[in-house]
Amino acid sequence: MEVIAKILILINSVTNVIGSIVFAPIGIMPGWLSNTIISAVAGVLMLLVFKHTSNQTAIGKVRDGIKANMLAIKLYKDSFSVTITSLAKVFKGAVLLLFYSSKPMLIMIVPVVLLLAQMGLWYQFKPISPGRDALVFITLKDQMSPDFSEVSLEPFSGYEVVTGPVRIYSKKQVFWKIRTVESGKHDLNFKVGQQQFHKELVSGDGFERINPKTPAMKWNDVLFYPADKPFSKDSAVQSIEIEYPRRDSLTCGSDSWIFFFFIISIIAALLFKPFLNVKI
Amino acid sequence: MIARREFLKNSLLGICWFAGNSYGLPGQSKKPGSRPKVIVVGFDGMDPVLAEKMMDAGQLPNLDKLRKAGGYSRLGTSNPPQSPVAWANFINGAGPGTHGIFDFIHRDPAKQCQPFYSAAETEAGDGYLEFDTHKIQLDFWPFNHTPTQTFLRRHGVPFWEYLDRAGIPSAFFDLPANYPPSSSSHGHHCCLSGMGTPDMLGTYGTYQHYSEDGPVRTKDEPGGKRSMLFFENETAPAKLVGPVNDFLIKPEPVTVDFEVHRDIAADASLIEIQDHRVLLKKGQWSDWLKIEFELSMPALMPNNNISGICRFYLQEVAPNFRLYVTPINIDPSKPAVTISEPDSFVTEISSSLGLFYTTGFQEDHKALSNRVFSDSEFAEQAEIVLQERIGLLNYAMDNYEDGLLFFYFSSTDLQSHMFYWDTDEKHPSREPSQTAKYFEHVKDIYRKADSIVGDVIKRYGSEATVMVMSDHGFGNFKRQFNVNTWLRDNGYIQPSNCDSIMSDKIDWSATKAYSLGLNGLYINLKGRERDGVVEKDERERLMEELITKLKQVTDVDGKKVIRDVYRTDKVYSGPYVKNAPDLLVGYYRGYRAAWTSILGDIDDDVLSDNKSLWAADHCIDPHEVPGVLFTNRHVLKDDPALIDIAPTILNEFGLETPGTMTGKNIFKD
Ligand SMILES: [Zn+2]
Repeated sequence: MEVIAKILILINSVTNVIGSIVFAPIGIMPGWLSNTIISAVAGVLMLLVFKHTSNQTAIGKVRDGIKANMLAIKLYKDSFSVTITSLAKVFKGAVLLLFYSSKPMLIMIVPVVLLLAQMGLWYQFKPISPGRDALVFITLKDQMSPDFSEVSLEPFSGYEVVTGPVRIYSKKQVFWKIRTVESGKHDLNFKVGQQQFHKELVSGDGFERINPKTPAMKWNDVLFYPADKPFSKDSAVQSIEIEYPRRDSLTCGSDSWIFFFFIISIIAALLFKPFLNVKI
Repeated sequence: MIARREFLKNSLLGICWFAGNSYGLPGQSKKPGSRPKVIVVGFDGMDPVLAEKMMDAGQLPNLDKLRKAGGYSRLGTSNPPQSPVAWANFINGAGPGTHGIFDFIHRDPAKQCQPFYSAAETEAGDGYLEFDTHKIQLDFWPFNHTPTQTFLRRHGVPFWEYLDRAGIPSAFFDLPANYPPSSSSHGHHCCLSGMGTPDMLGTYGTYQHYSEDGPVRTKDEPGGKRSMLFFENETAPAKLVGPVNDFLIKPEPVTVDFEVHRDIAADASLIEIQDHRVLLKKGQWSDWLKIEFELSMPALMPNNNISGICRFYLQEVAPNFRLYVTPINIDPSKPAVTISEPDSFVTEISSSLGLFYTTGFQEDHKALSNRVFSDSEFAEQAEIVLQERIGLLNYAMDNYEDGLLFFYFSSTDLQSHMFYWDTDEKHPSREPSQTAKYFEHVKDIYRKADSIVGDVIKRYGSEATVMVMSDHGFGNFKRQFNVNTWLRDNGYIQPSNCDSIMSDKIDWSATKAYSLGLNGLYINLKGRERDGVVEKDERERLMEELITKLKQVTDVDGKKVIRDVYRTDKVYSGPYVKNAPDLLVGYYRGYRAAWTSILGDIDDDVLSDNKSLWAADHCIDPHEVPGVLFTNRHVLKDDPALIDIAPTILNEFGLETPGTMTGKNIFKD
């Protein structure tokens, strides 16, 4: 599994560069509009990928077959035997279509997930408004020693520490509550023993690229939190997390932005299907 | 279960609300903003004696300004002066005989003195289909099961119904004595129900308290639950008790597991519950948290998730970890049961204000009475409530265009019950310095009320009729009188060693009268009470005898205890007088019915000290505790009373006073 994580880190280094350039305009336009544009373009691209990775001739044949059998059902609706055989053929055709689309689906799944991971950085969370509190916590590799001196969060002008460090021994975690003072990207500096660790804190309003978690070397976390390089297995700190507020919107808010993405991309694909001459 | 008609109606009303976008609702000839404006602000229990003193001392400048302009009077309260009765008088513009609310607690004569809450009644459902451990109710043919239903017991026509019919919008925030909210017949009325609204456990408010010295098995106490926490490696598991799952044949509450972690050196704690991580230092409150309760359903049916809200308050980290959790309130953004009319009224408010208390009793006086809270902790929690309500009032005013706006504050009542003490005499449970300090706190609340009124007048004083009123006043509650003990000692309850009217020991065949609730006294009348023995012609003589004797009761220091005893057949009128107690006991300030007497228990002593922290009350003689009325108009009526407010409001909108109302316009003499 660590191999997968390492491959993902490599891929992320590329998608992060592309993502932060291509998606930068999200920050300056309404969320519903940016999500609509991205989803529509993605829908058309997926359609093109489908066209070139699927067996269009075979799909065309199956579609013609289905059409013919549907017609047969209509014409010979009084003949029981014709209806039954045609129905069976329609059903077989549907299964075949599913089979022919499995290859393009498999090819598309990885890039789509990578795309969603990049989009999630923008839509899943809101930056912390100045004056608001947020929870920050780190997970350590080893059981902490009972004295506090070795783990600290360095003070900085962009935020103040309201509570903490609060050590939770059973979870090997240390928590702080911080209050952001001014808008902008701030650096949280943690000191663990002699080592320093950093995490970006985004404060402000509107849309920002937010990575709530610097993960451990676990492939699923590396996939869903792509923006930061994960901690290595032997790092004293295994993860750093900031609890950003979830975004409340049907088109570009927490969780629902994904449904919006799929709906718009499907609509776009269906609209462009006749122009690009694709058989689905 | 939602009946289809109910659902359709609610949806229609919801659409009305959305389309209206403010209290100016559509479908009227007049343009929003062009109708008269009336704003009523209710401060429950604001006492004229204290208010007048403070105005004289220049401490309530805004209210005093209204007084100086001729807009002040004491306001006659209801008999008895209990909030549910008083607010129902306000709602009907007439006395208890018209609405049938006579006390917090009523009795069922057919079940001989069995008590129940007077405001709302929950009727158990009938019939269901069994699926293994679950049951399901289907309210359509051929099953026709009746689901469990809660309905409002207040009778009569509420005054907003006349506004509604005339197309005049009205919006009520935290209206007492209106749960479940009565429906609007024409869609021009919105209401968020107040006092009487339950929490998710179906109670008037049940806090949950966790501590290392708590009971091993969760223990129920009046208004709360206590449990023990056991820390291992500074982490302790805990359970939050949620609503009862009525889909089970043997209904039981749904619980949510959570974990409490602490860091003694940091004097802080982390609470992990569902998706929430809450970091609290000692003395800190969490924000409102949404908790999902999953009600298991019969196999193959998806489980039912309902949402409640609560806040955590970390009292102590070590040596005795103590954590208080508010009653689980109905989530205003996704109410599990109807708490507003229309349903969308409260969700609209919540989409603008977020989460807030929705239970009827918000200040957790039970937590103070049970010493879960200290005085200062209670005051702090009550301040949270007040600030939330001020936010709600601002929302109400921002969205108000015209018609009627009603807003209610409970702070002046529930905090007074715990902190009001206006003499130098010794307080039952507080040191003199603390007594003075917290009475000063009550005065602070009055000062805050004054500045709220100042705000309303500043915004709407020139264009609206503003009325600020209370349902009753307040008095110290030093000594308690056990009516049932007195009745027993005087031979009206038999046998002479009887210790409760609820016990099997009582001999109903020789008992002539009993007391239930805070002021009510019932004759054990033949033909009415199940085991009644007093003949109709004896009743008259017996009532007069009881009145004479009760009015003679004196305390050990020679002070009179009872100012008057009222015959309801003389002071009430209306179709529901038949359900009322026969007599109402009106105490002097300083006295009240004994705690034990309310539910029928009989103590050794007739009179004893009130030892509770609840050391002020108003459930006494109505002439001892009138309310207040302030307005930016001249009060011309001589002796204005609660029942006069509704006719006054209707007249302000050009509507006639309905025949059912006995009140009169306060702006006419
Ligand atoms: Zn009260």
